[in-house]
Amino acid sequence: MDGHTILVVEDEYTLRRLLEYRLGKLYRVRTAANGEEALEQIAEQLPDLIISDIMMPKMDGFALQAALQERRETRAIPFIFLTAKADEQSRLRGMRTGVDDYITKPFDIEQLLVRVERLLERTHYYRNQLDERIGQDFSRRLMPKKLPQASGYRTFFHNQPREHGGGDLFDWMEARPGVYFITIGDVMGKGLQAKFYAFSFLAYMRSILHALISTTDSPAELMTRMNQVLMDDPPMEETFASLLLMRWEPERNTVTYANAGHCRPLLVLRDQARVIEYSDLVLGLNPHATFKDTTFELPPNSALLTYTDGIVEQRMRTGEMLGENGLASFLPPALGKPQPIEWLLNELLQQSEAPEFQDDILVFWLERMKQPEEQRSGPRWFSPFLDTTEAKP
Amino acid sequence: MNVSTMNFSVEPCTQETVIIRVGKALDFRNAAEFKTVCQEQVRSGVRNFILDFTDTGILDSTGLGSIFSLYRQVSPLEGQVVFASVSRPVQVVVQLTRTYKVFRQFPTVEAAREAVL
Repeated sequence: MDGHTILVVEDEYTLRRLLEYRLGKLYRVRTAANGEEALEQIAEQLPDLIISDIMMPKMDGFALQAALQERRETRAIPFIFLTAKADEQSRLRGMRTGVDDYITKPFDIEQLLVRVERLLERTHYYRNQLDERIGQDFSRRLMPKKLPQASGYRTFFHNQPREHGGGDLFDWMEARPGVYFITIGDVMGKGLQAKFYAFSFLAYMRSILHALISTTDSPAELMTRMNQVLMDDPPMEETFASLLLMRWEPERNTVTYANAGHCRPLLVLRDQARVIEYSDLVLGLNPHATFKDTTFELPPNSALLTYTDGIVEQRMRTGEMLGENGLASFLPPALGKPQPIEWLLNELLQQSEAPEFQDDILVFWLERMKQPEEQRSGPRWFSPFLDTTEAKP
Repeated sequence: MNVSTMNFSVEPCTQETVIIRVGKALDFRNAAEFKTVCQEQVRSGVRNFILDFTDTGILDSTGLGSIFSLYRQVSPLEGQVVFASVSRPVQVVVQLTRTYKVFRQFPTVEAAREAVL
């Protein structure tokens, strides 16, 4: 049983039962004795495929097919005529009305099963392709077009959604000159639904930041407000998100953050990388959740790595997931590299079980350089969405 | 009587409490099924859920989201969702998301049952 529902429309009782029995081994089967009954069944639940006789009392197969063609939600349901009308005229009429297959009685049940399977496969394939395209479009729009820049710092970003992707998001704004808010989050779920919720969530988050930024500089206070929104607003009640909200002040070389259950950032130093520890509860779960601000300093020749869970859940050759400590062990040599994220991902993949990442990857690298004079102008950007000339200035 | 589903089994303790054996994985592939199973239980009057993670090797964010949905459903009804026999992969996710602040954890299903009943 792969979850597909097939509607069999057949007035002859024995044949209807036979089809129900054979198809029922592989699919959920519903039955109707004529077109009218079929329309009632379809109004209750849309089937994934319809197999219909042509000659039936009350409403025949042609009339059923015509009725389905009139409605947008039913016109794309794969439709097979199974009929004793073997004459060429009926066949042509059937094909002209948009049916996907035309099988004449007597028929071979195995052949019918193969055709059903192929039709379902094809429909699934097209739907998947469409979902993937929409998902990629959402992913692209969820990502910023440029990165924050500040004297003495380099910033890098990489995002690589996989297939439909999930709800990873990244955003930043300059609240006032020299004060940046950077957010990395993951709205729980997979596929288009997660993308949609991530999109809505990002809109909420931006509105809250813009509305409150003049009254508070505290990521924890902003986080509290976001949690309240998620808890109170019915359209968002099924939305849960992990979120890291950071205030970066390059002139002071400090980062103040609140973390709602998101992957913990790593501070990369020349000889080691360590986890920035403090974290609170994910958003959307508890109206009384509290959040705390934590501040740390970025010393010269250090970097802050923030990311979503796809990277630490990557399976390595050892069979284990990479994990926080595993990731930390790769980081120090990346400091100062021309493209630290690209370098890091290549290193990780060389020691991975699979030659590519198995989930969405989102990474942001904020590096304080050794000496301010080493600064080069312009952010560096490494993203599969942009063409190479734009990606690596 | 145990009610078996494709991935989850539900063992009633009382009219208001059940144990759900989560099985090998709770992730984006079966999270919807988990939600359906739990919703049926809530509809039939169950308020307390003991989730048994003994065999669970995978808990992703979609799976965790389905547990959160359950929690938000039963919290207003004074219900509870507790974790029992939490495997290492589940513990990692619980630590990361700080959800141990919300879901009580017990070393065994028996201990959870005693605490909830």
